[in-house]
Amino acid sequence: MAKELLKGNVAVAEAALRGGCDFFAGYPITPSTETLEYLSHRMPELGMETRFVQSENEIAAMNMVMGAASAGARALTASSGPGISLKAEGMSYAAHYAIPYVVLNVQRWGTGLGSLKSGQADYYRDCKGGGHGDYHNVVFAPNSIQEMVDDIYEAWDIAEKYRVGVTIFSEAVLGQMMEGVEMPPFKKREGDLDWGIDGTGSKGMKYPGGDGQEYIDFELSKYERIIPEMQRWEQYRTEDADYVFVAFGLPSRVCVDAVDKLRGSGEKVGLFRPKILWPFPHKGFEELYRMNPHVKGFISVEMNDMGQMVDDVALGAKRAGYCVPTYCYPCGGGVPRVKMVLAKYNEIITGELKEMY
Amino acid sequence: MEIVKKTPAKLGTHDLCPGCGHGIVIRLIEEVIEELGQENNQIVIAGVGCVCTATPAMRFDRFQAAHGRAAATAEGVKRVRPDVLVFAYQGDGDAYTIGIAESLNAAYRNENITQFVINNVNFGMTGGQMSWTTLPGQKTMTSVSGRNAELTGLPFHFPEMVAGSKGFHVAYAARGAVIDAKTINQTKRMIRSALEAQLNGEGFSVVEILSPCPTNWHMSPKQCREQITGPIIAEYPLGEFKTRD
Amino acid sequence: MKEIIFAGFGGQGVLTGGLILAYAASTKGLNAVWLPSYGPTMRGGKANCTVKYGETEEEKVGSPAMEEADILIAMNEPSLDYLEFCRPDCHVFVNANAVSADYSYPPGVTVTRLDVVELADQIHNVKGQNLVMLGAVIKKMGLFDEAYAEQAMCKMFADKGKGSFNEANVLAMRTGFNAV
Repeated sequence: MAKELLKGNVAVAEAALRGGCDFFAGYPITPSTETLEYLSHRMPELGMETRFVQSENEIAAMNMVMGAASAGARALTASSGPGISLKAEGMSYAAHYAIPYVVLNVQRWGTGLGSLKSGQADYYRDCKGGGHGDYHNVVFAPNSIQEMVDDIYEAWDIAEKYRVGVTIFSEAVLGQMMEGVEMPPFKKREGDLDWGIDGTGSKGMKYPGGDGQEYIDFELSKYERIIPEMQRWEQYRTEDADYVFVAFGLPSRVCVDAVDKLRGSGEKVGLFRPKILWPFPHKGFEELYRMNPHVKGFISVEMNDMGQMVDDVALGAKRAGYCVPTYCYPCGGGVPRVKMVLAKYNEIITGELKEMY
Repeated sequence: MEIVKKTPAKLGTHDLCPGCGHGIVIRLIEEVIEELGQENNQIVIAGVGCVCTATPAMRFDRFQAAHGRAAATAEGVKRVRPDVLVFAYQGDGDAYTIGIAESLNAAYRNENITQFVINNVNFGMTGGQMSWTTLPGQKTMTSVSGRNAELTGLPFHFPEMVAGSKGFHVAYAARGAVIDAKTINQTKRMIRSALEAQLNGEGFSVVEILSPCPTNWHMSPKQCREQITGPIIAEYPLGEFKTRD
Repeated sequence: MKEIIFAGFGGQGVLTGGLILAYAASTKGLNAVWLPSYGPTMRGGKANCTVKYGETEEEKVGSPAMEEADILIAMNEPSLDYLEFCRPDCHVFVNANAVSADYSYPPGVTVTRLDVVELADQIHNVKGQNLVMLGAVIKKMGLFDEAYAEQAMCKMFADKGKGSFNEANVLAMRTGFNAV
């Protein structure tokens, strides 16, 4: 099938519908607004006019999603960093009730209002829970529009399998750019949910309420299944690498270019790319260690100001058996240039840039 | 003649304070829903506050919303289950103070849901703090010298607002009370109108119910009744502000 | 890998111009990425897009951002700032109507000046300046076969529901082919 050139924010919206999404509530925010705009006309086309809500604010959107999902819908909301902060309350509630839903975060740079530059500043919040309490969403981190399409197409299957929230970690540039995409066919949920509110009172939400051991066991057993089953990663030219870049999303594509350039000049470098950020792919680091225990250092490349994923990179390396430094190149807002990555690499091997861990 | 007292099938018990109005309201709602033959076709979106203590009395599909967000959650449910009776059940602090945005916006869009708001002019669950419905001069835990309306605003009139403001086109808005047989019967008729409006797809309906709070008002049930018939109804008149077309 | 920057003021059609290149590459089965300026950049009246595509079906596009462009298309003078993101031996196509003749280019750069306003005016299609420029770039750089480029452009506009202007658009692109 021929690939169609589609904008990230539009492709992900269409793929969501093909993955069975039948409810959307959202609020305009750059750089994610095209998703809202597209669904506002595409859902009526598919006979789902009343299943689309342009909500009064981000908070209401998330609470609508919660209501819709508890009533059996495959519900989606989309926003960017500041908007997801507002949704965090609802996301915590959804986690408590074990409601499956999908949230798209088209990340921009910065704290507070930040700016509209592409960013990866929401790693801590989105991968470590985000709202109050103990919970995690499964966090997909695609690095191409096709991968984002494939991820969201699978998202509700995973969300419903584990009764967990799924976050699709997009980025401003990934949402705004166009790339060739092959769209999957429309699909529906296989079988029925054995929980949910439908007015008959026959099923109910089926989660152990309260604050007792039963609830804790329910939560723990869920995450105990997710953690080993949902680790996904990709390695590129790491088999004999001295230094391994670790990057997700668009910076990982920049790092592919950087690796090729450095390899061209005789430097032994590679790239480790988490495709899912939570659960963090510790198994990938173990795989790397079995293959190449001689790595001299890891370099986390991230679109934020202080480094966030670097903590997990250092932990991943240590857990796998490495006792080597972990460096960080937090490039700030905007996709880093290959030459900047090369310059940082040079600073690292000359000892100018010190390790973070 | 045998007097038969029939309890609605879906009604459970609750742990609310003696003299509280919540129990009466839930009973009225369930009586109406049973009369409408909808007892197996109802979902309550519960607010946060004393409502949490009241919810064991609701033995049907129930979703515990976040504080203030019940109207939005109800909307999400209703859009997915348009044939089911979906109502938000909230207190005044929940629906009008923290939830002012969600409540007004649901009414503004004329969402086909029903909102029941138990108005006891204070935050009950947290121990009697000032709410937007607290009367000027009323003493609460956060207005110990009496509510200063100049500094904190005037009592909030939600049913009147959504019934009478330009741009709103709700189906039904009313205020009742649960202090004696007369007001209880009147409130039951309002609840029926609100739920019938939803069943007919007419749009947003709200019934606010003035309800005594003996614990936080530091009053006996009898004094509470006098408080409602006196100053509270003087501020919040009973009646229908928007009747069904 | 080909990397092209198409830049100018908002309204000069630079985003559409770049998109046609991306479409032409993509419909040939090549991996193509089109990245527009967005948000505040867009609102400031400046517009640009970066187009990258593999030269074989296997070649993938890494970074989607401006890195080392082979071609810079500058519809106005501020667009020449993007020379920073071009290869030292890049080719620059300049709208002679909006860029001063004595602009000082870095050494190694090849410059093609074209008065696209005048050329578009001659065919009574002022809005077609971007397509005139595009035609010149495609022909001079040998990016695509001319007939194929016309066909890809027409398909793109038709897909967007704007196929009714295709005759004028083809004429504009051909004007560009003939100008170099």
